[in-house]
Amino acid sequence: MNVGNVLLATAFVVLLAATGILVRAYLSDDDRYLGHVTTLTGAAAVVLVGALVQLTYQFVVTDYSNAYVWNNTADYLPLLYRVTGVYAGNEGSILLWAALTALVAFAAGVVRGFPDRHSKLVHAITSGVVTYFVGMLLLQSPFASIRTEFANAPPGFVPTSGQGLNPLLVDPYMAIHPPVMFVSYALLTMPFAIGAAHFVSLFRGDGSVFATWRGSITRWLRVSWLFLTVAVALGGFWSYTVLGWGGIWAWDPVETAILVPWLFLTATVHAVVRYRPNGEYRILAPAMTATVFALAIYTTSIVRSGTFRSVHSFADDGIGISFLVLMVLTGVLGVVVPLAYWFLQDGEAASSDGTWLTRDNFLHAAVLLFGLLTFVSLWGLSFPVLRGAVTGVEVSVESHYFNLWSYPLVAAALLLLGFYMDFDVEGRRRSRIGLAVFGTATVAAAFVAPSEIWQLSPSPPTESAVYGVLGSVRVLSILPAAAYAILGVTKRALARVPATADRGAMFKETGITAIHVGAVLLVLSLPFMYMFAGQASAMATGVTSESVDTSYQDVAGTDYSVRVLDYSSKEFPQDPDPESYALSTDQVAARGPSLNGTVQAVYGTVTDVREGSQATVIQLDGSRTWVGVVQRNGTSGDVSVQAGQDLIARGRLMWNFVPNADATVLASPQTIGSPTNPPEGVVPTRVRADGVSLAVYEDGELVTSGVAGQREYPQQGGLEVRDVLVDRGLVTDTYVIAGVSDGTASMTVKQVPLMSLLRLSIVLLVAGMSVVLVFDPEHGVRTLTGSSASSTDAEPEATD
Amino acid sequence: MKPRKTLTIAFFVFLLGIGYLSMHSAPVLSDDNYSYHGETQWRTDFSEAEELASEQDRPIVVYFWTTWCTYCEDYNQYVYSDSEVQAELDDFVKVAVNLDSDEGEFGRLKQQYNANYPPQHVIITPEGEQLVKISGYADREAFLEYLAEAEREYDAGDDQ
Repeated sequence: MNVGNVLLATAFVVLLAATGILVRAYLSDDDRYLGHVTTLTGAAAVVLVGALVQLTYQFVVTDYSNAYVWNNTADYLPLLYRVTGVYAGNEGSILLWAALTALVAFAAGVVRGFPDRHSKLVHAITSGVVTYFVGMLLLQSPFASIRTEFANAPPGFVPTSGQGLNPLLVDPYMAIHPPVMFVSYALLTMPFAIGAAHFVSLFRGDGSVFATWRGSITRWLRVSWLFLTVAVALGGFWSYTVLGWGGIWAWDPVETAILVPWLFLTATVHAVVRYRPNGEYRILAPAMTATVFALAIYTTSIVRSGTFRSVHSFADDGIGISFLVLMVLTGVLGVVVPLAYWFLQDGEAASSDGTWLTRDNFLHAAVLLFGLLTFVSLWGLSFPVLRGAVTGVEVSVESHYFNLWSYPLVAAALLLLGFYMDFDVEGRRRSRIGLAVFGTATVAAAFVAPSEIWQLSPSPPTESAVYGVLGSVRVLSILPAAAYAILGVTKRALARVPATADRGAMFKETGITAIHVGAVLLVLSLPFMYMFAGQASAMATGVTSESVDTSYQDVAGTDYSVRVLDYSSKEFPQDPDPESYALSTDQVAARGPSLNGTVQAVYGTVTDVREGSQATVIQLDGSRTWVGVVQRNGTSGDVSVQAGQDLIARGRLMWNFVPNADATVLASPQTIGSPTNPPEGVVPTRVRADGVSLAVYEDGELVTSGVAGQREYPQQGGLEVRDVLVDRGLVTDTYVIAGVSDGTASMTVKQVPLMSLLRLSIVLLVAGMSVVLVFDPEHGVRTLTGSSASSTDAEPEATD
Repeated sequence: MKPRKTLTIAFFVFLLGIGYLSMHSAPVLSDDNYSYHGETQWRTDFSEAEELASEQDRPIVVYFWTTWCTYCEDYNQYVYSDSEVQAELDDFVKVAVNLDSDEGEFGRLKQQYNANYPPQHVIITPEGEQLVKISGYADREAFLEYLAEAEREYDAGDDQ
């Protein structure tokens, strides 16, 4: 058992004890041992973070005695990407997730304490979730020995080089996207625990949990919403720069898998606002709160359990089963129990009097629209799997499906947003006129507007009439809807912000305005980015390392021309450390006779050279490892090796081959060399990077210049990754792809409109969310510091 | 009826409607013997294709694809739906290999022709010898050129 596994086992036992105490305390309403819980969860958090640090350390020093490290990194990678390797596979990702969740569970316990019986149940659930994760890690440990990969390897065997990191992950965005996502998923554990505890408690007749926790649940939801938004955005920006992923959003299963919890979380954040302990949403809000985490687990399971084995699902192994079990558990607690309660009850208390135009109804419609959007994504992810399993017929879910169904829902949501905001300021009569005008404009634009290029999908993949109608919708219709929404939001902000006396309330209004404007700009930019992106290609010949033809090449059909200025071809690793590819004399001695007959590279300092009649024999490091250099024709020939120099030799290693030597490496003059000039074939090329410096001109004016090219990974199935040149423009991005082979550079110049608008929208969303999270006078993080948490939350708010 | 209730019922109607319609009008990608791309139909049984190819003395074009590859969609939309491409492709025996599947001989083919990302085309003789490889996306003209080159090489091989 190694350090890492000991840490995991310790964490498991400690967590089991904490969960046990909490469950017992809840069931028997007896507080014995309860004082230890915080210590235990704190210890578990420390130990799990310790395990994560240990794994990270192993990656940084490339400790290949760990199979997971060996599988996910290599020496030539820079520090950042060695750290990225920690979460390149399932085991490391779950360790990260578990450690973060343990921190969340511990923090929640410290902040909140155990003031009542319900809180014990809530903490029992969070601590149970962490325990489950750690249990998964014990079954499939990130600290498994390298001997699980090489069944016949002798004890102490350590490979000299690792397998390398998935080339797609060698990207700065991918270095930060997973941790941000797991922070968000870890934070979602608390709302899940509170929601699930709420229904368990209701079933046991112990009363509502949700009401007392309302403030803290709002904070947990908002902070995970913030992180999840950042994570989705980072993923999108990554796929934008990775060629072949179809731009910022292509409805890849993994992209959809993170969008589903995001959409539903957005719906939940809206629903929780209108929660009333005895009125509206008294069932729906807690139910949705519990469901978000269950959805996150469901989509993660679908993606990680190997149902979709896209190259994108970076890892694929037995952890899938544990995920499926977790999916069932969270599904029961988060979805089935709330549903059952709802069926057994009379439904929601009557709150409305038959009037349609009320803020409550609008908000309800918004929640339902987000629910439908979630369903579209969730269903698109699920039904091919379902249908494939039932009938064996494989059906495709293309981006058409997601786009065609989501578009009208988004347009409806924009109109609703505009109306809601307008209604708040203008009242019933005038706002109806606004809706009539902009609604008509939207519908008119959808069906009467310009030419076919504006159509959402001119040629839907099937004959279905519904798709035909949806596909013929003109995207121009997004403009009136978005304009209406922005007008409404701005109008309300102008009316409300100056009128607020409280600084916190003013910040909150501003934040909410920023979020909504950001969201509108986001959905406004996306369709145009895809529909009006243009691309064209050019070729340049005569691109070699000696000379480069720098003449202008016209990009056919555009005003662009490109010039190749320089060409470079590099291979990695460059000047690697001999340790990374050859055995030291100590390693040879340690591994002993098991090396007999294998081909090995060894390195060391020459301490003795003896010329024999048939071979030159060379002693390394004064050890019992010798190198025999034999000429092709069987003579010792001329081998210029002197004592004191560093030598690298490759050949068949024979044990006890000659007297006075344990190991003899049979080499030839061609297979010996020095660390600066190692013999050919000893150091495998991991990456071959070809790139051209190029300049792009539009009508003769320089638009951008830089390097574009490709990286090939010969050791990893020859996978090719493109390095693109992106010039971020105010209106359009210029995006250049170049491929170089056999002296020819083929270049594609793409124009992607409105990327800057999209970037702005993300900034607005994130800034707005942060402001609301911190400054909300009712539930903001700031309220925690002013007065104690329990005093703000203890009283259920009976009225708004 | 109360507005909230009406809205909620409408929600479920929409939800079921979308669910039902989309599942039943989703394009079929593959059934027992064929997989469908654009307006072309590709075999999925490689042994059958091999037999057919040597019987009729035609080269085989092997298409490596996945359900989630966006360039495969481009192939469907811009290349396979073109009548000239379809006519040219008729000179070949077409086999499609889903890279996400290890069924039958898919695993071996992936390895043999070193196809590890979509889309890729490998054009081979009935004996399995590689004539032309198209890595990634090729537009209509380039794709036709590749096909022509493969036919030239195939005929040249025959003459020897």
